[in-house]
Amino acid sequence: MEKSQIVPIDILQLSLAFGLILVSAGLARLMRIGLEKQLLWASIRMVVQLLATGYLLHLVFAVNSPFPVILMLFAMTLFSLQVAGGRIKKKMPHFYRVVGSSIIIGCGGVTFYFSLLVVGYTPWFDPRYLIPLAGMIIGNAMNGAALAAERLDSEIHDRRDEIETALCLGATSGQASESAVRKAFGAALIPTMNTMAATGIVALPGMMTGQILSGTEPAVAVRYQIAIIFAITCAVAVTSFMIIIQGYRKYFTKAHQLK
Amino acid sequence: MNSADKPEKEPKIWCDRVTVIKRNENGESATILDDVSLFAPEGESTCIIGPSGSGKSTLVRLFNRLDDPSSGAIYLKGEDISGIDPLLLRKRVAMVMQKPFMFDGTVLANLQRSFIYRGAPLPSAISPEILRVLELARLSAKILERSARSLSGGEQQRVNLARALTGEPELLLLDEPTSALDRPTADHLAATLHDICSSGRLTVIMVTHDLRLAEHTADKLVYLENGKVIETGETAGMLADPKTTEFGLFMAEPAWRKD
Repeated sequence: MEKSQIVPIDILQLSLAFGLILVSAGLARLMRIGLEKQLLWASIRMVVQLLATGYLLHLVFAVNSPFPVILMLFAMTLFSLQVAGGRIKKKMPHFYRVVGSSIIIGCGGVTFYFSLLVVGYTPWFDPRYLIPLAGMIIGNAMNGAALAAERLDSEIHDRRDEIETALCLGATSGQASESAVRKAFGAALIPTMNTMAATGIVALPGMMTGQILSGTEPAVAVRYQIAIIFAITCAVAVTSFMIIIQGYRKYFTKAHQLK
Repeated sequence: MNSADKPEKEPKIWCDRVTVIKRNENGESATILDDVSLFAPEGESTCIIGPSGSGKSTLVRLFNRLDDPSSGAIYLKGEDISGIDPLLLRKRVAMVMQKPFMFDGTVLANLQRSFIYRGAPLPSAISPEILRVLELARLSAKILERSARSLSGGEQQRVNLARALTGEPELLLLDEPTSALDRPTADHLAATLHDICSSGRLTVIMVTHDLRLAEHTADKLVYLENGKVIETGETAGMLADPKTTEFGLFMAEPAWRKD
């Protein structure tokens, strides 16, 4: 069917698109906000990163083996960890160990559940499915992870009096940090929940629009989108939960003392 | 060690050559407590006094293991507390912190906290456990249904005291119990503390920079400066005839007499 063939974009067409960035930079210059250089630099960075990723995907797609796919997922996890770490100024003790293991367990679990049971494509490592799905899941879980870790740290610091009062009354470190833990988990989950509630009205999600552009029936694209939002929510919940449950302990000694 | 530091009969608590070294944010280590030895006799009240920054609060936090010393040992009735489960220790050694932290909810709910943490059945408003601590802290039973956070500073500190006593401790630690209160309220609370201290049923260790409070409540004084024990003795004797210039100068400071 003619419709299912997407129109390819060549270099000339891409240059026309680049004109749009020049318009934005021109406006930035006109308003004298001094951001035009940064804007251009950001766009160049984006172009280089995406070209590199595209090339890498091309290579991974060409090899019919799970190893490069797994390697790529691993690299994505490392990058997400680095981004989350860079975003947070005050890191919890053992930040990378706690957040890294939580992302691996939370995102890994959800990605494979989603790939094997929900979509059920073969082979299980098919990069056409696995990489974009994992990418969306990891990217969103990373935001939740950063929020959870950041909020847990600030809650434990702000609630020092509360926590030590509880410890004095014979609470374990778990009992003493109960409200801090609950607040942090809520903070991690709320943005995902709000986005979910607004999806379809305020924003048309990227995956769905992408699938529609490349010729997928909108009804199918919508179902994919619904399923992936469920998966993202679960990945955010599991990853934040793991971070908070492992993380709060790092603020205490074995003798239930706040460090 | 001085022979004077060694108690003749077994004291309630014996602090044997305790040193605390803390690392600040720049990674430099500072000696907060330097080779501190002292003891508190059973059934008496001992006041640890000294200027701010002398290490008083750091010292008192060691007795219920909110912190552990870098070296040295603390014995509760001859038993090294580093070998006692901190959760059990904190039932025997209660602590009232400087700033009363009130948990969300009623006064009764605050008094039930330690029972919740221990997994014990919750005492009702008319149970002997609750009536006993209300009596000790000179609180009326009418206060039980009020929201703890709506109380005045003085009332909160009394609830704080009553709450600390719910576990029927053998040793009560008071960290600057009146410093957050205005003078009349502080004096009023001091009278209550005097009654508790002189009952002889409870051993009390109080930290304060307020000599007047110490004078009214303590059997024994320990004067601390720059993390070292400078002078120790019976309250009346020490106040009448300071043996060291440091304590003499501290006594001469008008700050503690101001109303």
